[in-house]
Amino acid sequence: MPDNEVDQDETMNCGLGVRERELLYAGLRQLPEAMPPRAVWQRIEAQAHAEGLLSDRRFTSARFKWIAGTAMAAAVALVVVNLPPSGTDTGGEAFPTVPAYTEQNNAVALTTLTALMVESQELEDDLRSLPSQPQLVRAGTAATIAGLEEQIAAIDYRLNDTSIRMSHEQMELYWRERVRLMNLLVQLRTAQAQRSAF
Amino acid sequence: MSKFTDIELDPGIVQRAARGDVRAHEIIYRAYGTPVYSICLRFTRVPAHAEDLTQETFVEVIRSIAGFRGEAPLGAWIRRIAVSKALMFLRSAWHSRGQSLDDDWDEPTPDRVPGYPGDADQAIDLDAALATLPAVSRAVIWLHDVEGFTHREIAVLMGKSESFSKSQLSRAYQRLRPMLQAETAATDGKTSVAGAALGSC
Repeated sequence: MPDNEVDQDETMNCGLGVRERELLYAGLRQLPEAMPPRAVWQRIEAQAHAEGLLSDRRFTSARFKWIAGTAMAAAVALVVVNLPPSGTDTGGEAFPTVPAYTEQNNAVALTTLTALMVESQELEDDLRSLPSQPQLVRAGTAATIAGLEEQIAAIDYRLNDTSIRMSHEQMELYWRERVRLMNLLVQLRTAQAQRSAF
Repeated sequence: MSKFTDIELDPGIVQRAARGDVRAHEIIYRAYGTPVYSICLRFTRVPAHAEDLTQETFVEVIRSIAGFRGEAPLGAWIRRIAVSKALMFLRSAWHSRGQSLDDDWDEPTPDRVPGYPGDADQAIDLDAALATLPAVSRAVIWLHDVEGFTHREIAVLMGKSESFSKSQLSRAYQRLRPMLQAETAATDGKTSVAGAALGSC
């Protein structure tokens, strides 16, 4: 029952009997909540930042660092894989036939990492291309989506935290998990969009 | 009953948010984003409008949280901002069409509740029933029956009289009554005696 007890007697005179009111209140309580799309927080953050309402510290760190980190990792990987060591004559070959970097395993690890980053970004694009969540969402689905988003956010937070030094293996583990979660999220949201289309 | 008042946050988060800490604001958003978006969607029924109103609400929270003294729970404070924004939107939408809030009931809405053909076996679809109500009545029923606002508080929020709020609620109940009566009859296995109107406002 709502807190506005004073008004309850008045509602008795508004055409509903006790059973009907109970049914109405119970029905209203059971109505599902809807989660805002993921982009809403980004819009809030961007507007607040533009209005100078927030300290710059994290705005410059979160998304910017994510993109910058991805770009940097990709650049490092490209350099490691494609460029010969300085002073080496490639003998006119367009590309070296032997991996230039002697620590081959590291190069492979970096390319794997880059591939995971790219895949993750592609999944983000897929997610953005889906229509926004329908007004009515099953409670179970909403909870699953919320859970996935929370886990992805936690991974992002960890990956963006510059105070944590991670090995390639650890980073790969995190990125692999991010891709896995993003895949699940995209599948779930796609199914949701298909259901709401009918 | 309100989701807003069920949520509790560490006071330290509010203090950090008051200093402009974006991480603290994100935590507040993660906690209250869904109830804010839900209430905006409930009022407007248009996801794009609900998104805009959610954005406006939280930007206002960021703008004003330094002045939040904690006299009321944070959730109640955020809810009031969200409700104000949503009602302002409804008011502006009506004004833009040269109408007042009182004309709300003249808006064309379905004559009968979708998903409710009068068959007692039909499951109750309150959400669809609410959709048949004019926006202001839907807002009043939500504020009164879910969020626990009094008619006086609703009147202040809407810039109208208490009798306006009561009238909107009464008309909303009248619209929903056949469905609720049928549902109670189906539950009881007989026509609900309690379902008879006890009077009128």
